[in-house]
Amino acid sequence: MTTETLSLPMSTSGLQSRKKRRQANLAIAGHALMIVMSLFAVFPVYWMLVSSLRAENHIFDTALWPDAASLDNYAYALSAIPIWRMLWNTLVVSAAVTFIQLLTGIAAAYGFARWRFRFDKFVYALIGLTWLVPIQVVMIPNYLLVARMGLLDSLPALILPHFASAFAIMLLTQSMRAFPKEVLEAARMDGAGSWRTLWEVIVPNLRGIIASLAILIFISTWNEYFWPLLLSRSAENTVIQIGIQMFITQEGTSWGPLMAASSLASLPILLIYVVLQRQVIQSFMKSGIR
Amino acid sequence: MANLQIANARKSYDNKQVLHGIDLHIEDGTFLVIVGPSGCGKSTLLRMIAGLEDITDGTISIDDEVVNDLEPSARGCAMVFQNYALYPHMSVEQNIGYPLKIAGVSKPERARKVAEAAALLELGDYLDRRPAQLSGGQRQRVAMGRAIVREPRLFLFDEPLSNLDAKLRVQMRIEIKRLHRRLSATSVFVTHDQVEAMTLADKLVVMNAGKVEQVGTPGEIYRAPASAFVAGFLGAPAMNFLPGKVLQQGNLHILPNTEIAVHSQELHQWTGREITIGIRPESLLLGKPSAEGIPAHVDLIEELGGSRVAYCRTDGPEIAVVMHGDLTVREGDRVSIGLLPEHLHFFEKTNGQRLGGGQASQQAQASRAMHVAFN
Repeated sequence: MTTETLSLPMSTSGLQSRKKRRQANLAIAGHALMIVMSLFAVFPVYWMLVSSLRAENHIFDTALWPDAASLDNYAYALSAIPIWRMLWNTLVVSAAVTFIQLLTGIAAAYGFARWRFRFDKFVYALIGLTWLVPIQVVMIPNYLLVARMGLLDSLPALILPHFASAFAIMLLTQSMRAFPKEVLEAARMDGAGSWRTLWEVIVPNLRGIIASLAILIFISTWNEYFWPLLLSRSAENTVIQIGIQMFITQEGTSWGPLMAASSLASLPILLIYVVLQRQVIQSFMKSGIR
Repeated sequence: MANLQIANARKSYDNKQVLHGIDLHIEDGTFLVIVGPSGCGKSTLLRMIAGLEDITDGTISIDDEVVNDLEPSARGCAMVFQNYALYPHMSVEQNIGYPLKIAGVSKPERARKVAEAAALLELGDYLDRRPAQLSGGQRQRVAMGRAIVREPRLFLFDEPLSNLDAKLRVQMRIEIKRLHRRLSATSVFVTHDQVEAMTLADKLVVMNAGKVEQVGTPGEIYRAPASAFVAGFLGAPAMNFLPGKVLQQGNLHILPNTEIAVHSQELHQWTGREITIGIRPESLLLGKPSAEGIPAHVDLIEELGGSRVAYCRTDGPEIAVVMHGDLTVREGDRVSIGLLPEHLHFFEKTNGQRLGGGQASQQAQASRAMHVAFN
C-alpha cells in the first residue's frame, strides 16, 4: 500500500511531463506544417511582384530577387491600357454589386425568416438551387437580355445579373432565423413595424455577418472574369481582370507588364486582407468556406 | 391602470386545443399571478393578452374594450420577458427610450421620462452601458424600465425572474412588489414558481392542462385548495396524499390500517366512499412509536436551517413531515405520525375535486391530537 501511494505521484508526474513533451512536439510539427503551407500560398504572390520588377529579357530568371529591379513594366502597363479607369470601373461594379446583393439579401432573408407563406419552403429551395447553376448555363439568356436592353459594353450590364445572390439570401436567412424571437416580440410590443424592426433591431445586430458577407461579395465580384469578358467591347468600359488579359495576345504574352497589371489589380484586395484581416478570416469561417 | 376581462378564451394549434375556455376578471390595480406547471398554457394566455398570439375563440377586453384584433402596441400593454429581450446594440438609455422614440416623443421629453424611470429603478449610473455589460438583475431592471416608461394600462410579466440566481430572485421579487405598490398598475405575472406566486399575488390563478383550477387570494387557495392538483402544487414540501375511506359517524380509515375519529358532519354524507386525504407536512406531528397515529420509520431528513423535513416510510405512501424545534429524530428511527383532524383536506378519489366547502377544521371536532415529544 505504502509503496503504491509513494510511487503514484512520481509516476503521475512522469506521465504528465511525457504528455507535455508530446504536446509540445505536436505543436512544433503543426506550426512547421502551417509555415510550409503559408509559403506555398504566399510564394505565387511574391513571384508576381518580383516578376513585375524584372526586365523583359530576364522574366524567366529563377533568382529570388532581380539583379536590376525596375518599374518599367508598370510604366508600360499604365501607358498600354487605362489601368486606373479599369480599377475605378472594377471598384464601382464591386461596390454596387455588394450593396445591391446585401440589400436584396437582407429583404429576402427577412421575408423567409419572419413569415410563413404558401410555398415558402419551395421558393427557398428554388433559390438554393440557383446557387448550383453554373454561369455557363445562364450566360446566353443573360447576354441576350442585356443586348436587347442595349446595355452591351456598359457597367450596368456587369451589375445587372448580380442583383441577388442565393448565397447571401441563405446565409442571412439562417442568421435571422437564429435571432432571438423575444427581442423581435419586444420590438413589436414597443410599436415597431416590420420595416423598423428590420433596420433598427435586426440589421444592427447582424453587423458582423453582414460585414463578412460584404467582404466575400466584394472579393468575388472583383475577381469576376467570365461575364465581363463576354460583355466588354472597349477598354474604357471594362474591369481590370479583362485589362490584364489584354497582355496575352496571339503574338505572345507580355509577362512583365501582365505581372505589373496583376500586381496593381491585386492591390485593393491585398489591402482589404491586410486592413480587415480578422473580419476576412471570420467571414470565411462564418460562411462555412474554408 | 385598467381592468382586464377574459371571457371564454380558447386557443388551438392545428386543431389541438391548448386553452379550454378561460374566464377571468382582473380589477384595476390588481397584481394577478398565473401559476402552473410547464405546458399548462399560462404563457400562452399571457401572450394572448399581449397580442403576440391570436385568440382562437372568446374575447379579451381591456377597460371594456375588446382588444382581440388590436396590434400588441395598440393594446396599451407592456411586457417584461423571461430573457429580458433587450436590444443588444442599444445602451440602457436607448433601450428604455426606444418605445418613446417609436411613439414620436420629442427628445427632451424622452430624456426626462428615461431619467425618471432610471431613477426609480436605480439605473442612473448605467445609462451608457450596453446590456452585455450589465448583471442579470440590472438587465431585468432595464426591461422593467422599458415597460414603465410607456405608462401602459397593463403590465405583463412572463416568468421574468426565472433566469436569475436564487438570491437575486428574492431581491427582484421584493423590488417588483414595491414597484407595484408605488405605481398601482394592473399587472399579470406568469410563473411556475409557487413562492413567487404566493408572495407577489393579490389574486392567484392556478392553471393546469389549459384550464383554470382555482382563483383566489394566495391565503384562500393555500387554506382551501379546490383540487388535489392545486393542493399538491402549492406548498413546499408538497402536501401529503393518503388513500382513505369514510367510516360511520364521519370517522376515517386511512389505508392501510389507521383509523381516526373526525366526527365531521360533512364527511358523514360520504360514508362508505373511498377518498383522498390531504395533509400538509407542517400540520403533522412526529412522536414516539405508539398505537395512535400512523406507524412509520424516518428514511431521510432534509436540513433547511429553520426547520427540517423528515421523509417517513409507512405501509402506505411516503409522508413528509416538517419538524420544528429541537426534536431529536434521526434517520432510521421508528416513529408515529400524528394527524390533527382540523388540518385534513378531503378530495374525490376519482377526479381530485375538493369534498365539502372549507377546511376540515370548520366542522371537525378534534377528537385527539397526538403529540409525544422526543427527548
